[in-house]
Amino acid sequence: MSATTAQTIDGEFGPATASSARPRLQQTTSVLDRAGGGNLLYVIPGLLIYAVFVFLPILAAVVISLTEWNGLVVPTFVGLQNYINLFSDNEFYIALRNNAAFIVFYCVVPLAIGVALAAIISNVGNRERMALRTLFFLPYIMPTAVLGIIFQWLYNPAFGPFNQILKAVGLGRLALPWLGDFTWVLPAVGAVAVWYFFGFCMVVFLSGMQRIDPSLFDAARADGARGWQTFWHVTLPQLMPEIRVVLLLTIIASIKSFDLIFTMTRGGPGNATLVPNIYMYELGFQLNRYGYAAAVAIVGAILVFVINFAIHQGMRRLDRSAN
Amino acid sequence: MLDVLIHRLRTGAAGLAVAGLAAGLCGATQAQTLVTWDDYTDVGQNAVIEQLNKNFLAAHPGVTIDRTARTFDDLSMTLKLTVAAGNGPQVTKVNQGAADQGTMVKQKLLLPIDDYVKQYGWDKRLSDSVLARMRWSDAGQFGEGNDYGISGLGEMVGLYYNQKVLSDAGIATPPKTFEEFIADVDALKAKGVPAFAIGTAKQHIALHMLTGIEQAHIDASNRKALDDLIYGRGGTFKTQAALDAAKLMAHWAKDGYFIDGYSGIAGNDAVQLFVAGQGAFLLDGTWYFGDMQTNPDIHFMAIPAPAGVSKPLTVGGIDLSWSITSNAKDKATQDLAAQYMDYMVSPEAANAWAAAGFFPSTTPTDENAVKSSLLKEGLAMWKVLTDNNALGHYADWASPTMLKTYDDNMPHLLAGDMTPEAFVDALDADYQAYMKSIGK
Repeated sequence: MSATTAQTIDGEFGPATASSARPRLQQTTSVLDRAGGGNLLYVIPGLLIYAVFVFLPILAAVVISLTEWNGLVVPTFVGLQNYINLFSDNEFYIALRNNAAFIVFYCVVPLAIGVALAAIISNVGNRERMALRTLFFLPYIMPTAVLGIIFQWLYNPAFGPFNQILKAVGLGRLALPWLGDFTWVLPAVGAVAVWYFFGFCMVVFLSGMQRIDPSLFDAARADGARGWQTFWHVTLPQLMPEIRVVLLLTIIASIKSFDLIFTMTRGGPGNATLVPNIYMYELGFQLNRYGYAAAVAIVGAILVFVINFAIHQGMRRLDRSAN
Repeated sequence: MLDVLIHRLRTGAAGLAVAGLAAGLCGATQAQTLVTWDDYTDVGQNAVIEQLNKNFLAAHPGVTIDRTARTFDDLSMTLKLTVAAGNGPQVTKVNQGAADQGTMVKQKLLLPIDDYVKQYGWDKRLSDSVLARMRWSDAGQFGEGNDYGISGLGEMVGLYYNQKVLSDAGIATPPKTFEEFIADVDALKAKGVPAFAIGTAKQHIALHMLTGIEQAHIDASNRKALDDLIYGRGGTFKTQAALDAAKLMAHWAKDGYFIDGYSGIAGNDAVQLFVAGQGAFLLDGTWYFGDMQTNPDIHFMAIPAPAGVSKPLTVGGIDLSWSITSNAKDKATQDLAAQYMDYMVSPEAANAWAAAGFFPSTTPTDENAVKSSLLKEGLAMWKVLTDNNALGHYADWASPTMLKTYDDNMPHLLAGDMTPEAFVDALDADYQAYMKSIGK
């Protein structure tokens, strides 16, 4: 490495006194490590891009949500009327209820499968682990819109393989019109989300397991803990940071879900898979109610923050009680 | 090597100079670029419009066309905002009805074309009931006032039948009356043959089926109530015809008259299944001619009318309207846009569309151009409709939210968890709310 690194290490760990170490550190520390406003200059390009593509649109959405606007004329300011209407809008509640159900499929089930698989796979040999990890992770590299189109075909009652197989093995009674059945459409779409996310959850948990101190497992074994007890009392508590990350990401994914549902059902049949983002799309781009659609978007964003904040708080409490 | 390069550069420069001179000369006469947007993204349609554009350019030296093709959804989503921002097309396709054309007229983003209608005699090529679908008053009343568009292609919702499936089930000829139609459907059911190919997961076969049957029960002489309803003059969706059609659909869905798993099948897939021989009937529009003509056993006819209705309405209309936008600021551009539109509804254009298997809104002059037997059946039907003033309406034009209301409630009607009465009530509630919102 460079002399700079060596000097820095010297500075930190060498025998020099504090007074003699300080000037050497100042000479060698990167300019980017300095405190103060000068470095803000380097942040400006990124900040500008963030402002133009993220912050300003969010701000614009907040302003638009306070107006009635068809996208053409000058918007009319209506204050909080869109929000008041939203909370008495039955379809919005249907969308929220469906989204809550989707959280189970986007978040809870993949997390449970991911943890279980990670616990199993972590005990197999390196080569097998690598192969299984790659295999289970593969769905996650595919765009969800593509998955939606593919599964729409797989589920097709007339020529889709799922029903063909069911009929071939004598289970024709179970060959339902999956994406047209009010009871089964949501689990059918949700199952695709499970398939998409479980591999991702598993990989995160596998990497988390590599972080766990092996002496904990040795100690558990010495105390006579069996496999299940070790998993419950050692592995799972140690994986809390990973579980928190997975929860955060999958909950955000479930609340912003759009492409998978849009390609498979467009929110149907009869709003059975309607979620706030599909509702927002319909209101904005099909019915030209941009103000009301923006209000749906803002409420969705607030929901993401509130739910994730609640989960963080809950997990922190769990952490504290575990420690 | 260098010599060759220099020679090529010189040749290129000379070519550019000649081209520039030519452009300059043309500019002195009629150098204009016409910016057009259309929705002919389908391969077959794209080939026709490209050919028509070439023909138009050949007849108008010095004119260039800057064409953009967008899908129906993309066009609908971007057109208003683009024209409102002062960009985009000077002549464009635009969806009729309140959501798109009505909104653009209200914001003065489209120009009235009444003078051109008279100048080119478009009112002689297209019937008045067709032109009315692109008419808006200054007060925003649909169906009356100034003309804002014309259309080159027609559309009808009718009854496709597979003669082979009917014959195999012992039905020698297609039904002539609605009563015969019901008897045929019941006979098919009794033999275990699915009477209807239908898919409700996507597209709108169920909507076309329901409104097609409903409007076949209305005689052209009694069409005023439907016209008033669709043009936003008021009325009700709670009619006996609507209720009967909803009851019939619910009965057919519940009692197994539809192909297996219809609720999980998209409309386009149902059409493919029908072409492959599943189902004896399919009720939908002429836009499926291209798919249907691959099976010679499939024919097209008007939905049969019940006894007492001699001139039944047929749901239908016209392809998206050609309109001139506010971007055509000067008279010369507006005139050029009108010339372009005139060519799009010319007999020559009708022949080109018919030759490619599409359904022109004006009668083709070249009978040899019509090769598809389905198209021949459709054109004969269109003539009867025009003579009888019996072209009905798309019910979802009645309010900006009506299509969503149909889409949201139809699956419940067919699944049996919504009564036909409640279904019709939901449609009417949507309509009356819209009427109230526009002060009627």
